[in-house]
Amino acid sequence: MAADGSLHWTPALGVSVVSVQSTLEARAASGDWAASALAGPAVTIVGGSIFTNLVQAVSLPIAAPKLKVISFQFPQPGGWRAKLSVNAGSPPVGAAKNLPPATATDAAVPPKKPTRTRIKPPGDIVKLEDRLFYMLQPSLESLVGEGSLAFPFHPFPYQFEGVAFLYPRYAAILADEMGLGKTMQAITAVRMLLHAGELSSVLFVCPKPLVTNWQREFSQWAPEVPVSVIEGDQAKRRWQWQQSDMPVKIANYELLQRDRELAAELGLEFDLVVLDEAQRIKNRASATSQCVRDLSRRRSWALTGTPVENSPQDLVGIFEFLAPGYLSDTMKPRKMGLAAADYVLRRTKDRVLSDLPPKMFRDADVELSAEQRETYQLAEQEGVLRLTEMGHEATIQHVFELILRLKQICNFDPASGESSKFERLAADLDEVAASGRKAIIFSQWVSTLDTLSARLAHLRPLAYHGRVPANKRDDVLAEFREDPARQVMLLSYGAGGVGLNLQFASYVFLFDRWWNPAVEDQAINRAHRIGAAGPVTVTRFLTLGTIEERIDQVLREKREIFDTIFSDVEPRRNLGLTQQEIFGLFQLRCPSGPIDLAA
Amino acid sequence: MSNGEAKPSQALGFLTVLEHEQQGLVGGYLILNTSGRPLEFHCTAPVKPSRAQRILFGPTLEPYLYGEQIGQTLLAKGSIEPLAVYTDVERVLSVRDFVSLPVALVFAGNPSPPATDTTIAGSQWRVDVPHRAGPHLHSFEIGTNRLAVAANRAGDEGRIAGALDTLATFDLSEPFERIREAVEEAHRGPRG
Repeated sequence: MAADGSLHWTPALGVSVVSVQSTLEARAASGDWAASALAGPAVTIVGGSIFTNLVQAVSLPIAAPKLKVISFQFPQPGGWRAKLSVNAGSPPVGAAKNLPPATATDAAVPPKKPTRTRIKPPGDIVKLEDRLFYMLQPSLESLVGEGSLAFPFHPFPYQFEGVAFLYPRYAAILADEMGLGKTMQAITAVRMLLHAGELSSVLFVCPKPLVTNWQREFSQWAPEVPVSVIEGDQAKRRWQWQQSDMPVKIANYELLQRDRELAAELGLEFDLVVLDEAQRIKNRASATSQCVRDLSRRRSWALTGTPVENSPQDLVGIFEFLAPGYLSDTMKPRKMGLAAADYVLRRTKDRVLSDLPPKMFRDADVELSAEQRETYQLAEQEGVLRLTEMGHEATIQHVFELILRLKQICNFDPASGESSKFERLAADLDEVAASGRKAIIFSQWVSTLDTLSARLAHLRPLAYHGRVPANKRDDVLAEFREDPARQVMLLSYGAGGVGLNLQFASYVFLFDRWWNPAVEDQAINRAHRIGAAGPVTVTRFLTLGTIEERIDQVLREKREIFDTIFSDVEPRRNLGLTQQEIFGLFQLRCPSGPIDLAA
Repeated sequence: MSNGEAKPSQALGFLTVLEHEQQGLVGGYLILNTSGRPLEFHCTAPVKPSRAQRILFGPTLEPYLYGEQIGQTLLAKGSIEPLAVYTDVERVLSVRDFVSLPVALVFAGNPSPPATDTTIAGSQWRVDVPHRAGPHLHSFEIGTNRLAVAANRAGDEGRIAGALDTLATFDLSEPFERIREAVEEAHRGPRG
């Protein structure tokens, strides 16, 4: 064996050859022939060797070359968590910890069978070391049992998938349908990233009415994480913005706009900014959008159940916050959907929650009463005539004014007070009251809610709308939830359409229709969400032969736009609303060109 | 979750060798802290024995490749010395002859207890239970995990048990899934 590991082999061939050559020479007979006959033949002996020509050495390599190894070392957490002692003595990953069983009112229930949800790096993470870091993390389910990461309830498998989606992403939209727990998923992902030391400064931005909701959800899903709500006068806010020992800060959109200059002055930087109800920034030119885009941050997440409300441009607007320039207005919906696919996670209840009670729709088509019809027709004729006379001076605002007036007449006739819708609603609510269940009623106008409140006084309805002081709203919700005698609550789409958990209500009435199907979905999903104990019945009122019926057709088309972007279905045609179509509600002609409908 | 105070001495090693039909054998070595977070990951380039090695090593080829060549090389690359090393491939146990660390085989699933005296005189029995421990293995249970060490290393059981002192319910077979995915990813290389 040679030093290089090769084996050398020399065959031992020791062979010698001896050849004997005998020669009989022909001799001429001589006179002494007898003597010649006695003489022997001549013999020559020749010796030879074949050694040199036959010996060969054969080398067989048997020692492999030095093995190549690729090595990675991963960073270990520090940051805010090291300052706390929450992990002291906690059992490790995988330690058995029996979580309390969920109940019907819990935000989540135990999965039927154990699953392992692993973090998968998104396509835009190209560095191998970074990709492996995420891939080699333990399953999220194993973290749930860890002492330092106690969970109040066992999350659903799809919620783990949502957390695994958010965890490695620097730009992401969690666009789950309302009621699937976007809040819990975002909080859990942030919590895990904080514990892993990947984040130390996170800002949540949400609508003002939802700030307390976020606080409450943090106390439930991440009780050990210090949370600071930015509020109070400017001096206090200045101090709060600079608190380095508060890894999570919550601010509302309006406050953020007020503190825009302050944020710049303080040089605020965040590891992550999360926008709740991110459809608020769909309009890129809005002050809200510009304000959040100014925030210095490493990661950007958007939470919204309605990433596309009116047109594909809504999604472009949100992406300007996530990844500026990645999407453009000129992209076709299908191409836009494909481009956004790795950034957007969208699940619907139908797909992920087979256990969720059904949602049943009833389209309550009612005829206007005779007097209502008379008032309506008069208003429409006058309005259309006025618009016609205005000619090219008629603006979209004029059309909206007419629409709103007609819709209000469809609710209640201002002259006679008659309302076919109310008669139908009152009959339904009697049934609801008798069943002992609860109902929520939505309207676009506080004035309509006031009228309903007066006429339904025998049912002692509660009200939740823009005129209810913010500090009273939680009390209203608590009373509706806890007092069995309070069976009816009246809500405006604006105040009650987002963020509320009313899963104890079995009936939803849409007394009038909103412009946008996504807003209607938000309203419906206040009741039809995780924890709903039984089926939710949704009644959508529609007065026949009116502007409401024409708007309903528009709403259906908007749903098709959404489906085109978030499904693999080929678009049938461009369903974006045009100004012409709005004017077309009244068979009017107008200057062409796209418009931005009110949400 | 990741333990900010995790000390190297509290780490666990997971070593496996994957068989690829075309490329050959690829080794992967993952070091975790006791919270299950990755500390280090090492993987080898594919190893394919030559025809000469097959002929000359004979029945000792696999222990050589799995233990000496791949296993020993990977363990030497770790900058953190774990309390113990676990593998899901029985042939990797041969690495124990080259390192001072205890090396244990983790049984996947819930196999029947290995028997050391199941041979019935005059008969040959075959039971198709994967990873069934034979007489060359010394098996034992720690928490929910079923483990084995080489029979001539039965003394390692105490060290293995000590390493898992606070990890009675840690699923020791789970990290191998991570290694398999990571090895595939590493051999695909960076994206973009």
